Amino acid sequence: MGGDKSDVLQGTLDLMVLKTLESMGPLHGYGIARRIEQVSGNSLSLNQGTIYPALLRLLQRGWIKAEWGLSETNRRAKFYTLTKIGRKQMEQETENWERIAGTMARFLAQSN
Amino acid sequence: MDRIRTLLSRFAALFGKKKLDADLDEELRAHIDLAIHENLKRGMSPSEARTAALRDFGGVTQIMETYRLRRGVPFLQQMTRNVRFAFRQLRKSPGFTITSVLTLALGIGAVTSVFSVVNAVLLKPLAFRDSDRLVVMREAMEEPGSERSVEPDNYLHYLRLKKETGTLADAAIFMQRGMSVSTPGDHPRIVGSVVTSPNIFRVLGVQPMLGRDFVDADAAKGAPNVVLLNYEGWQAFFGGDPKVIGQALRVGGDPAIVIGVLPPGMRFPRIELAPNIAVGPPLETMMYAPLTPSEWDLTADTGNFNYAAIARLKAGVTVEQASAELETLQNAYTVSARLPIHLGIALAPLASDVTSGISGALWLMFAAVGGVLLIACVNLANLQLARAVSAERETAVRAALGASKGQLVMARLTESLMLALVGGVAGAALAFIGVQLLLVLAPSNLPRLNEIEVSLPVLLFAVTLSLAAALVFGILPALRSLDVHPQAALQANSSRTVNSREGSRTRSVLVAGQVACTVVLLIVTLLVLRSFSRMLRQDRGFDSSHVTVAQVDLFSPEFADKLPNVSAVKLAFTDRSLTALQQLPGVQSVTVTSAMPLTGETWVDELKRPDHPLPEAQRPLINLRWINQDYLAVMQIPLVAGRNLTAADRANPYVALISERTAREAFPGENPIGRKISDIVPDDVHSVTVIGVVADTRINGLKDTAAMVYIPYWAYTPWTLSFLVRSSQASDALIPEMRQALWAIDPQVAIPSLRSMDEQLSDSVSTERFQVVVLTSFGAAALLLALLGVYGVMAYSVSLRQQEFGVRIALGSGKAALMRLVLRQAAYPVILGAGAGLMLAFVLLRWVRSLLYETPVLDPLAIGGSLLLLLAAAALAAVLPARRAALTDPMRALRTE
Repeated sequence: MGGDKSDVLQGTLDLMVLKTLESMGPLHGYGIARRIEQVSGNSLSLNQGTIYPALLRLLQRGWIKAEWGLSETNRRAKFYTLTKIGRKQMEQETENWERIAGTMARFLAQSN
Repeated sequence: MDRIRTLLSRFAALFGKKKLDADLDEELRAHIDLAIHENLKRGMSPSEARTAALRDFGGVTQIMETYRLRRGVPFLQQMTRNVRFAFRQLRKSPGFTITSVLTLALGIGAVTSVFSVVNAVLLKPLAFRDSDRLVVMREAMEEPGSERSVEPDNYLHYLRLKKETGTLADAAIFMQRGMSVSTPGDHPRIVGSVVTSPNIFRVLGVQPMLGRDFVDADAAKGAPNVVLLNYEGWQAFFGGDPKVIGQALRVGGDPAIVIGVLPPGMRFPRIELAPNIAVGPPLETMMYAPLTPSEWDLTADTGNFNYAAIARLKAGVTVEQASAELETLQNAYTVSARLPIHLGIALAPLASDVTSGISGALWLMFAAVGGVLLIACVNLANLQLARAVSAERETAVRAALGASKGQLVMARLTESLMLALVGGVAGAALAFIGVQLLLVLAPSNLPRLNEIEVSLPVLLFAVTLSLAAALVFGILPALRSLDVHPQAALQANSSRTVNSREGSRTRSVLVAGQVACTVVLLIVTLLVLRSFSRMLRQDRGFDSSHVTVAQVDLFSPEFADKLPNVSAVKLAFTDRSLTALQQLPGVQSVTVTSAMPLTGETWVDELKRPDHPLPEAQRPLINLRWINQDYLAVMQIPLVAGRNLTAADRANPYVALISERTAREAFPGENPIGRKISDIVPDDVHSVTVIGVVADTRINGLKDTAAMVYIPYWAYTPWTLSFLVRSSQASDALIPEMRQALWAIDPQVAIPSLRSMDEQLSDSVSTERFQVVVLTSFGAAALLLALLGVYGVMAYSVSLRQQEFGVRIALGSGKAALMRLVLRQAAYPVILGAGAGLMLAFVLLRWVRSLLYETPVLDPLAIGGSLLLLLAAAALAAVLPARRAALTDPMRALRTE
């Protein structure tokens, strides 16, 4: 819970999870958390545990599904996969996000 | 879509919680294991690896809690916990639980039963299209100096109004009457019928289920006889035969073709012709025939007020607007046609007109039963308050552990809600029985009687009612839990300190409220009882015991009024019937009259005196009856002046007896004997001479005496006769013999009613009796509940003060003093409540006035009696706890400290 690192918005975390699953294929919770940490270059810190409520939320919406499987260490773990709806939603969310990010970037550039 | 999916998945998660928890546990453990594994690979020591993994994960417990909250429905889970807790609490005190559930079940059952009657009779719209646009149209008459009176409709006036109006979409005129109907080979039955202008179903918005509607040509002169049947009539006469169209029935002896059948649920409302003119015996309408206007209908402009009419307002037109317009039309016509009378109009919405006679009584019943439920709820509130006090520790612990105010209130309210729901379900079940009971008691002329049932709206009402009841009796105890100070409550070591003055004050106020309600209910009950007993016990002017009455309708072909000798045929039938009935065993005397006794005003006519002409509106109205010389003997009516009819009058039958009231109203200050009355015999030729005055009777209804004119049936024999037989034999034995004797003379006459006069009398007050029986049982229930309420509160208070009483006795207080102490404590709320109840009664009683018969609302006996009853009940309820207080054993009371 590093105070100097930015908190992650809920929707952002969802999108990160979806994107991770899209690029990596089926993955367990730990894998997803680690992947997000790596990609973000440790610029944002989230307790790895926060990933689970986010996963539950996505499960409830039907955007991802879960199955028990075996990890690379032969440990029984729950693996998450993107569903068809999830893929569509992710594309839409990505578009939204890019638009907002673009707007924000222009806005910030102009006020400099 | 996402929301719905989320919600479904949340609800799904309510089940199989254990497995889901195990899953989550396993998943998180896998996470930590994987992290440790990776850390180890990075070269950490096992304990370092574990610490780092847990640190990176964050608070495992918090995450699990967040996860669980998101997974299920927290509100529902909280509820489940509350329900489980409440269930355990209730199981711990079965006495309380059973008492509460039973009280609620009975209360809710009673209210729901009465509501199903109120709903069917008063609230449910009539089953016609846009029934709120239907109005009953009657004419009004005004005469300077006298009151405006409401009259039935005149056919000509109806035609003119229908043509000139701009506010009515359409209007139908009709006559409701009994008609003799038979299928071949059977004795005829008298069936409720509507003889109507052919547009009636277009006005009502009803279409036949089979066959066709009336068309205007059906009412044309010389058109073939056709009828439409109700669903019930179709079942009764044709057993529901789908090929009924085109078949014939004998109606009044003549064949009539069935052209259509109306759908089930189509019930024709009973429309009173005018406020004081009944439509005859309550017959369910089964048949409709087109009304062909007679010559008289098309010419009479001042008399012939014989019809009822239903009109449909144009969309958006109010009853007031239509009234104003029609009133103007009537006034204008009065002037332009130079009528000797002044015409007006009286419109009433159909739904309220149909129930105008009963709505007051029904609402009163509903209010009374609501009062009983309220009193029951107060009892339960008191019990719950007592329980809340003993549960204060429990509440304090919860509050100390951080339960929110909402959770505290909900925890206590859940118990009340559970009781109310169980009570409500049981009550709804009881309502099915209650409705049957009410139907048995209900007077048969109650409008829309056959629509009364426990329907879906009624059940919804029961559910709402139980929730409301739970709030009423549960909210006070629940809110009290907010006042619990955890520290004080937890430190206190006995219930004595917690039982604050405030709590006992709340309970006293509740008892006072309960007593007030009970006083009002008791006063109303006693008033209605007094009114009913006055009605039954006053002098009726006739003796109904040992009299059996047979109503006979002459509607077979040999009595058809087209026949030239029909008068002679009717007369012969009457003569032969009287002779035959006289010969039955045990018969003392036999007579005939033209109207069934105790069925309201019938054959109402104006009394015209050739020697003293009066303007039409000032002529006294009388009831005309066709009798013979034995009428006074059978009915035991004394002759006051002049002479009775004799057999010798048969030669010159144009003589009349009048009642004292007729003498007063038509011959004020004169001797009526020997005076003439004109235009009263339907032959329009003969005047009759008054030969005697007889005592007044309440023959049309027990509420009032009637102005009567009696003429021998030798002058004119009507088509409807009632034979009265005075016999030493019981009615039950006599009835089949009478039926046999009458049908032996003519098997084609109808006998719609054959019963003892006592039964007829008892039926004539069935509405009042219904009201009395129902109100008395509610009053008794209220009194019992109030008694229990006072007892409960006093007993509880005494049990809490045992130690105090022990100390008092130890200090030398006498038993009598202790009893006084307790009784005084009980007296406050009771006396306060009784006072409040009296004041409330003075405000509310004016709505009861119209329901009472010759009984002032401030009847001292009713008011004094109610107060006495209540005080006696309260004293009884307080004495037992007071005795227990006085018998406190000081040693034991002090030792328990």
